[in-house]
Amino acid sequence: MQTEATLAQADVSELDLIRRCQAGDTEAFDELVTRNRTRVFSMIYNMVHSEQDAWDLAQDSFLKAWKSIKRFRGRSSFYTWIYRIVMNVTIDWLRKKHVKGAGAEFDDATQLKEVDPASKTVPKAEALPYETMERGEIRTRIDQAIDQLSPEQRAVILMKEIEGMQYHEIAEALGCSIGTVMSRLFYARKKLQNLLRDVYENI
Amino acid sequence: MKTFEEKWTAWVDGELSGRELSEFEASLPDKAAAEAEKAGALKLGELLKRELSARTMTSEEFFSHQLRESVARLHETPGRKAPETRSAWWTIPRLLWTGAASLAVFLVFTVVVMREKNPAEESQYLTQILNARVDPVVSPNASVSIFEVKQDRVTVLWTEGLQSLPADYAAK
Repeated sequence: MQTEATLAQADVSELDLIRRCQAGDTEAFDELVTRNRTRVFSMIYNMVHSEQDAWDLAQDSFLKAWKSIKRFRGRSSFYTWIYRIVMNVTIDWLRKKHVKGAGAEFDDATQLKEVDPASKTVPKAEALPYETMERGEIRTRIDQAIDQLSPEQRAVILMKEIEGMQYHEIAEALGCSIGTVMSRLFYARKKLQNLLRDVYENI
Repeated sequence: MKTFEEKWTAWVDGELSGRELSEFEASLPDKAAAEAEKAGALKLGELLKRELSARTMTSEEFFSHQLRESVARLHETPGRKAPETRSAWWTIPRLLWTGAASLAVFLVFTVVVMREKNPAEESQYLTQILNARVDPVVSPNASVSIFEVKQDRVTVLWTEGLQSLPADYAAK
């Protein structure tokens, strides 16, 4: 198998790798995985907050990508294309997990009732000095806050804020309209601002 | 027509411009509070980017190795399925051939059994009797009649007027 270094030296284009994958070249697919695995894993981890689950879901996502690589038409980047698979796999998993946990259903409609679009966000807890907060504690607070969001809202805010993706790219990855992306982003931000204001205001 | 949420999001992300921007800002009841909210949203974005971007995967090579094995297993699977595909040939043509062959064997067997069965129904002893003739000199009024029930394999020989039983009537 060709190593990461030699392939990098060859500066193989993504499109070329995809064409080789479509012809059944597993080495080319291996290179695509190498280029994208960290971003994919990181994205999934931020949604599920479990390293093992993120690992398994990332494996599942790449395997699905390999199975359907022949259907990739090159209209978007490989990353946007695989994100759609990643999001389907992860959101589906989160919903199944939530149903098993017998919690309230994730529903954007619930968020509409809970958050008044014109409301101002207020801190839920007393402000804590940033210096007194351990880094792990900040991370835990963020994870807990993200857990309060629906899977689709998590996906939208993480793709926007962490990955810096455009609305249309997010819409493509989630298979929804740009308006839906913007609406989900609005409610996700409002909710996280309510839950994390004391954190970001004191940094 | 954009909803308030869509316009707000676009405003926070700096995606509104020109007339759309001025109209939206004019529609805000408390612009100062809205600006504070926008600043908060941007700070939230910075916080998320700083805290969540740092996550890296451990054992990256093992991840790829595991995936390569899964892909290799996928390629092996069609090979294993090949015999199953061939066995599907059984379903129509081979079943027809098997059925026809079974029918032929059955017919041959039946013919052979029937041929063997018919002579047995008529015993050798009876054949001797039927083929024998009563001597009109010895027994001028003699008569012989036979009736049989094939399913019970019973044959009755009724004789009348015989003064003596011919020697060749005796069973061997």
